Amino acid sequence: MSRGAGVTTPCAIPGTPLADARAGLDACVHCGSCLQACPTYLVLEDENDSPRGRLDLMRALVDGILPTSDPDVRSHIDRCLGCRACEPACPSGVPYGHLLEATRATLTAERPNPFIVRLILFAFARPALLHAAMFGGRVTRALRLSRLLARLPGRIGFAMAMLESTRSPLPHRTYQPRSDGSRGAVAVLQGCVMEGLFAETNRATSRTLAANDFSIVEAPGQRCCGALHAHAGDIDTARTLARANIIAFERSGAEVIAVNAAGCGAIMKEYGVLLADDAAWRDRATVFAARVRDITELLASAGPRLGAPVPVTVTYDAPCHLLHAQHIASPPLRVLAAVPGLVLMPLAESEHCCGSAGIYNPVEPETSERVLEPKLRHIAATGAALVATGNPGCLMQIGAGLHQARMSARAIHPVDLLDASYAAERS
Amino acid sequence: MVELAARLAGIVGERRVMLRAGELRTYESDGLPGYRSTPSLAVFPGTRDETIAVVKALAASHTSFVARGAGTGLSGGALADNVVLLGLHRLKRIVAIDGDNARAVVEPGVVNALLTAAASAYGLHYAPDPSSQSACTIGGNVAENAGGPHCLKYGVTLNHVIALTVLLPDGEVVTLGNPDGESEGYDLLGAFVGSEGCFGVVLDATIRLERNPQAVRTLLADFASVDGAAHAVSDIIAAGIVAAAMEMMDNAAIQVVEASIYAAGYPVDAAAILLIELDGAAAGLDDDVARVAQFCKAAGARAVRVAADPADRARLWQGRKKAFGAMGRVSPHLVVQDAVVPRTRLPQVLADIHHIGVRHGVNVCNVFHAGDGNLHPNIGYDANDADEAARVHAAMGEIMQVCIDAGGTITGEHGVGLDKLPYMDSLFTPDTLGAMCALRSVFDPERRANPGKVVPVHRCREWLAAPAARAGHPR
Repeated sequence: MSRGAGVTTPCAIPGTPLADARAGLDACVHCGSCLQACPTYLVLEDENDSPRGRLDLMRALVDGILPTSDPDVRSHIDRCLGCRACEPACPSGVPYGHLLEATRATLTAERPNPFIVRLILFAFARPALLHAAMFGGRVTRALRLSRLLARLPGRIGFAMAMLESTRSPLPHRTYQPRSDGSRGAVAVLQGCVMEGLFAETNRATSRTLAANDFSIVEAPGQRCCGALHAHAGDIDTARTLARANIIAFERSGAEVIAVNAAGCGAIMKEYGVLLADDAAWRDRATVFAARVRDITELLASAGPRLGAPVPVTVTYDAPCHLLHAQHIASPPLRVLAAVPGLVLMPLAESEHCCGSAGIYNPVEPETSERVLEPKLRHIAATGAALVATGNPGCLMQIGAGLHQARMSARAIHPVDLLDASYAAERS
Repeated sequence: MVELAARLAGIVGERRVMLRAGELRTYESDGLPGYRSTPSLAVFPGTRDETIAVVKALAASHTSFVARGAGTGLSGGALADNVVLLGLHRLKRIVAIDGDNARAVVEPGVVNALLTAAASAYGLHYAPDPSSQSACTIGGNVAENAGGPHCLKYGVTLNHVIALTVLLPDGEVVTLGNPDGESEGYDLLGAFVGSEGCFGVVLDATIRLERNPQAVRTLLADFASVDGAAHAVSDIIAAGIVAAAMEMMDNAAIQVVEASIYAAGYPVDAAAILLIELDGAAAGLDDDVARVAQFCKAAGARAVRVAADPADRARLWQGRKKAFGAMGRVSPHLVVQDAVVPRTRLPQVLADIHHIGVRHGVNVCNVFHAGDGNLHPNIGYDANDADEAARVHAAMGEIMQVCIDAGGTITGEHGVGLDKLPYMDSLFTPDTLGAMCALRSVFDPERRANPGKVVPVHRCREWLAAPAARAGHPR
C-alpha cells in the first residue's frame, strides 16, 4: 500500500497533447459518479472501460507508470465511444472529451490508427474522394443492392443496413417557403454524410429555416467539420479543416451557422479550443464558434411556427453530441411539438449512446452492437413508428439496427418531420 | 499466482481475470484515491455460482481476498494489497420485488439508486441514500453499514436488511436473519452488516423498502454563522421534531457546489446552509415546516425557503450529494473524515475544527449529516506538495482527537477500512480490539477476507501467533 503523497512526479511524456491537457486529470477525485453514465461500462462491466478507469490510465501515462505502448491502455482508450455522457455526470467538471482526444493524439503518434480508421479519415479530408464514395453509396442504395447485402452477416451486412436506412421514410417534398428574412442570414453546414446520403434533410433544413423567417446564404468552399479526425487523434487535419471552414463561413456573410449534424455542431462550437495554440487563428476561431447553432436551437428560438397535422407516433433519442457535448435537451422536442398530430412517446434511457459514435461502429463492431441492443429494446417498447434523432451517425446506427432486427420503426431527423408538417399545409 | 489465475479463468472466463498492470490500475483505489494498493490479481464473477466456485478455489489455496463493489468507498476498505481482488459489481440482478410486503431480493452488485428506481413502480424506495448512491452497490452498503442524509429518520443499512445469504471465506453458504420473521439465537445478521468485508461476501440480500411518504417538504435555511446553524439543529431535535434529513454545508462547500454542474442555487454568501427535509402524512406537515422555520430564524437564519416543486427539491439534493465529487474543482487531492459527535456538542466541535484548520493553514470544508452529528470535514490539497500534505494529515489527526474527546467516534458510515486504522487505538482498549478479532474468527478463522483492515494487526499479535489456542478465549 502506498500513500499518494509527498513526491512530485515529473511528466513522463513531455510535449505530447496529453501532457498539455494533464491539469484536467487532476480534477478527478475518483468518486465514481461517472460509472453508471458510461455505456461501455454498463455493457462490458469492466471499470477499465469506464471514464474513471480511462482517466486512471491517462494519469498512468503522464506519471510514467505505464508506457504509451501498453496494449491495455490502447484497447480501453480505443473502446471509448467518446459520447461524453460522463461530463454532465461529473461533479468536478473533468474535461473528459478533451482529455480523450489528447490521449488519442498522443497514442496515435506512437502507433498509427488501424487501417480502416486511416482510410475513413483520409477520404473525409478529400472532397473528390468523399464525393465519389457518397455517389457510390447512393448508387448502391438506388439499385437496392444495399437491401440485399444487408442480409450478410458481420460488418459488411451492418454497413449495408446503415446505407439502406438512409432512404427517407417520408414522401419527397418540394414546396417553396416564404421568408421575410427578419431573423437574419444563416449559412447551413452541408456536411459530408448529410449532403451525401441525407440530401433531403439538408433541403428540409433550409426550407424550415426559411419558413421561420431566416434567410439562407450559401457558403461555398466549406469542408468536413473535422470531428472524426479530432476524435481519432488526428488533430492536425482537424485544424486544417477548421481553418477552411472558418474562411468559407466568414466569406458567406452569415450571422449564424446552422448545423443539422450534432457531431459536427459539437466540434464547430469547439473550434476556439481546437485552435487555441494557434495565435493567428485563435480569436477568429472563438468568434466563429460562438456563431454556430444546432438547427433545432435556431428553430426553437423562432418558436418554431406550427405546421399542418402529421399524424404519427414518434420517439426521440438524444444524440450524445447534442445532449452531452452541446447541452441541448429541449429544442429538438420543441421542434417536434410544432407538428400537430405528432404523438411523442417517451424513450427510456434516451440519454444513452446508441453505439454509433462517429466511426466507432466499423472500428469496434462488437461493442457497438452491444451498446445498440438496449436502445433497440427501449425503442420497441415505445411502439413508435419513427425514432427522431439529429445526427447522421445515430440515424444510420439506429436505422440499421431496426432494419436488421426487422422492426417496422424507422429513424428520421426531427427537421424532416417539421418540414413534412409545413409541406402538408400546401396539399 | 499464474496457476491460480488459470484456475479462476476456468470458472469466470479469461476476460474476467486480470493480472497485467494496465488492467489493474483502476482497481488499485476506491473513492479515496490518496491510497493505492495493487492486487495480485483481480477476478470478476458474473453469477452466484461463479462467485461460490471462485471463493472455494481461493479457500483451497488459502489465498486472501478483498471484496469490492463499485469502488466508491471512502475508507480504503476495498483495497487489495498484493492479495486477490474479488469484484462483485457484475452480480447486478434485482431478483424480486414484493410490493405488497415492501421487500426486495437483490444481488450484491445492484446499484443503490437503481433499486429505488425499480421500487418506485410500487410506490416504494430504498431509504439509505449515501451520496454515492448513483454508483455504489448494495453489497458495499451492507459491508460498510452505509448511511446517508435520510438515515436520520429511517435508519441505516442495518435497519433495512432483513436477511442475507452469505458466502463465508471457506466457501460455505449460510443464511443470516430470517425473511419470514425474527431469527432464533444470536443476531448474526447484525454482526455481519458493517463487518467491512472481513466476515465474508453477500450473495443476496433481502431488503426492506419504505413506502414513499404522502408529502415531502424541503427547506433551505441560510445562516450568517456556522454556530447559528449548529444551534438550530440542536434546537429542532430538542423540540422533538423528527426530520427526514438535516444536512449542513459551510461556505467552502457551498462555493464548490455552486461552481459545478450541480449548482443548486444555494446562497453563495452564506456562512452555512441547512437542508432540512420533513415528510410523512400531509396533515400537520406544514405546521412542522413552520416550527422548523421558526427555530432556524430564532437561531439567526437570514432566510428560509421551501422547495417549490419536486424539480426544485431534486436540485437542492443533487447539490448536497455531489458536493464531495465537486471538491476536485478546487484541489487535486482530498481527504474526507467521518466522525460522529453528540449533537449537543456540534457548535463547539465545529468551532474547534475551524481553529485547527487555521492553525495548520489548511482549508477545511464541512458538508455533513448535522441531524446525526455525523461530521464530514474535507480538506482539499495537493499531494505533490509534501509540506501541505503533512499539515493536512496533522490537522486531520487533531480533528479526530477533538471528536473523540467530545465523546464521539471515528466513523459514522464510511467504515474504518485502512484510513481510520490509526485511530482505533485511541478509541478502544486492547481487550476490546481482541474481542473484535475473536468475533471475526467465528466467520473467517483463517483471516483471509479483507486482511489488514478495521482492527490494527499489532493489537492482535499474540492472537495471530496462536489462533487455535485463543479461539474461545478472546482477550
